Amino acid sequence: MALEIRNVNKTYMMGTEEVRALQDVSVSIKENEYVAIMGPSGSGKSTMMNVLGCLDTPTSGEYHLGGQDVSQMNDDQLADVRNQQIGFVFQTFNLIPRANVFHNVELPLVYGGVRPSEREKMAESAIEKVGLTDRKSHKPTELSGGQRQRVAIARALVNKPSIILADEPTGNLDSTTGEEIMAILDDLHKVGNTIILVTHEKSIAEHAHRIIRLKDGRVESDITTARANGAANGVN
Amino acid sequence: MKALYDTAESLKIALAAIKANKSRGVLTTLGIVIGIMAVVTTMTAANGLGNTFRESISALGSDVLYVSRRPWVISGNFFEFRNRKNVELKEAEKLDRYLANAVAINPTTNTNKNVKYRSSTLEAITIIGTTDKHMMVSASVPESGRFLTAFDVQFKRPVCVIGSEIKERLFEHVDPVNKRMKIGRTSYRVIGVMEKQGSAGFFGGPNFDRQIFVPITAFMKSFGGHNRDFSIAVKAPPNIALADFEYEVTGEMRKIRKLRPTEGDDFSINQMNQLVGAYNKVMGVIVIIGLVITGISLFVGGIGVMNIMFVSVTERTREIGIRKAIGARKRAILSQFLFESSAICLIGGGLGLLLAFGVAALISKFLMPASVSLPIVVVAMCVSVLTGVLSGFIPALKASKLNPIDALRYE
Ligand SMILES: Nc1ncnc2c1ncn2[C@@H]1O[C@H](COP(=O)(O)OP(=O)(O)OP(=O)(O)O)[C@@H](O)[C@H]1O
Ligand SMILES: [Mg+2]
Repeated sequence: MALEIRNVNKTYMMGTEEVRALQDVSVSIKENEYVAIMGPSGSGKSTMMNVLGCLDTPTSGEYHLGGQDVSQMNDDQLADVRNQQIGFVFQTFNLIPRANVFHNVELPLVYGGVRPSEREKMAESAIEKVGLTDRKSHKPTELSGGQRQRVAIARALVNKPSIILADEPTGNLDSTTGEEIMAILDDLHKVGNTIILVTHEKSIAEHAHRIIRLKDGRVESDITTARANGAANGVN
Repeated sequence: MKALYDTAESLKIALAAIKANKSRGVLTTLGIVIGIMAVVTTMTAANGLGNTFRESISALGSDVLYVSRRPWVISGNFFEFRNRKNVELKEAEKLDRYLANAVAINPTTNTNKNVKYRSSTLEAITIIGTTDKHMMVSASVPESGRFLTAFDVQFKRPVCVIGSEIKERLFEHVDPVNKRMKIGRTSYRVIGVMEKQGSAGFFGGPNFDRQIFVPITAFMKSFGGHNRDFSIAVKAPPNIALADFEYEVTGEMRKIRKLRPTEGDDFSINQMNQLVGAYNKVMGVIVIIGLVITGISLFVGGIGVMNIMFVSVTERTREIGIRKAIGARKRAILSQFLFESSAICLIGGGLGLLLAFGVAALISKFLMPASVSLPIVVVAMCVSVLTGVLSGFIPALKASKLNPIDALRYE
């Protein structure tokens, strides 16, 4: 599913001062692209991701997701889009601490109204994809950071969304664990998902085929890497 | 079908949340516990009192009219009735003659006397002069011995039938039948003991177990017949409405007293239902007081639950953000917290109900038969859930309206 933002602005009011987190940003991302968003701290990466993930609404501008005008949607429609179309992976994992791995992964299906029997199958297959079948009934606190992020990925992909958004998914992990997480994202890209990730690390960004750089809320550069051409030729 | 899953899921999530905060939830429910206990106890006690009362006044007979000088239940001006003349014995005889269709007519009169058996004395016992017809107008029967006969009445025999409390308190371990006892200064022989009636005494009603029946003729000989006020029990025939029969009796009494059409009745016609009416009034007040207490405790409890739900929502702001981020609609969040508050209240209600069962058991043991009935249980549970929904609504609404990104950022 393709997404396109056009002339998006996001302004925060801090007292009397305006913070312009996004300024006139226009980006269009096609289906099955693998995009890394980079830029210095405070440049608006997370803000842009949140807009793309329908978690936040821009102050102005347009957002079309698979032909639908997101800016016209109400809260419940946005919730449905987040549930069906988008899988979000956060830097801080954002798992529900009381619930075990299985229930965390199952939750999007619960809100999606999937029957319990089917839910179990889907959740288990998602957990298997991230290699955590033997940790199914563990609580998040009983897992390592890498394992938690894999749970978060399983939760993001359980509903078979076409877009995976990851805001610094490896930010809290060491480089080996980070590579493991990236391998999972690479696989998801290979099976047809659109992947957009935010990162500070060059090595992580190199997994992507297109790098968008932000600075002060503006798009500074938007380049397609050589890798992308390689991927298009089936070389990886 | 989907709504059903949603419900089940919300319930599961709610129960998990409560389990995680057990002690806090239980403390919060104290108000609910007391409220539900109050409502269940009030309703159970009211039921128990009602049954006891109805049972104890059943001796009066539901199809019997009592012609007396004054109404049993006086509302309004008491003095209006003070100057009325007594109902006389000969008026009973006339009524007997004129009211051909009455099943039975029984004049009674009463006085208070001290009674004595050997060395024990009971003070101010109601002595009732009556006839053998008493058996036809009243549902009560002797438990041992026999009741007065026409023969006893005709020959003014000094015999008496005593109530169960007299037997217990005056005779203790002796069989009273055929014993001689003193009523006032006259010696009477006990010929029977009445069955226990249960007491309506605590409403200021008559205590039928603290009575002694003697032949009306012997009564007048022992205690004087001059200037005595009588009450005439008239049992209605089965095929006529009591109101119609009352009209008939009133008519005959007015004829006997030669009242002109412009004059009001100078006598009263009483019946069991009047006592029931008076009882219901008293009970209504008691129930209202009980419900006010219930309402107050439920209100206080509800505020407590609301408070704890606000805390719960605030504490779990991030969790709400996560749920919204993965696609929970407003309604899902709303119902999650509504279920949580309802479940807390339901647990409180359950505890209150358990306590109420205990209180009911105590009441049964020491006061009167009382048992918690199923409808009361159902009402109590519904009230608990309703309290939960009402007190959880505002916090739940707040939770459901949270902006996902703000909720996620919440520290
Ligand atoms: N809720 C908010 N209220 C006010 N200002 C905000 C808020 N969220 C973000 N900002 C501001 O918007 C700008 C962009 O923030 P954003 O989180 O998008 O940066 P970022 O590129 O993700 O940075 P980092 O790499 O540190 O995560 C920053 O200047 C930040 O201070
Ligand atoms: Mg960021």
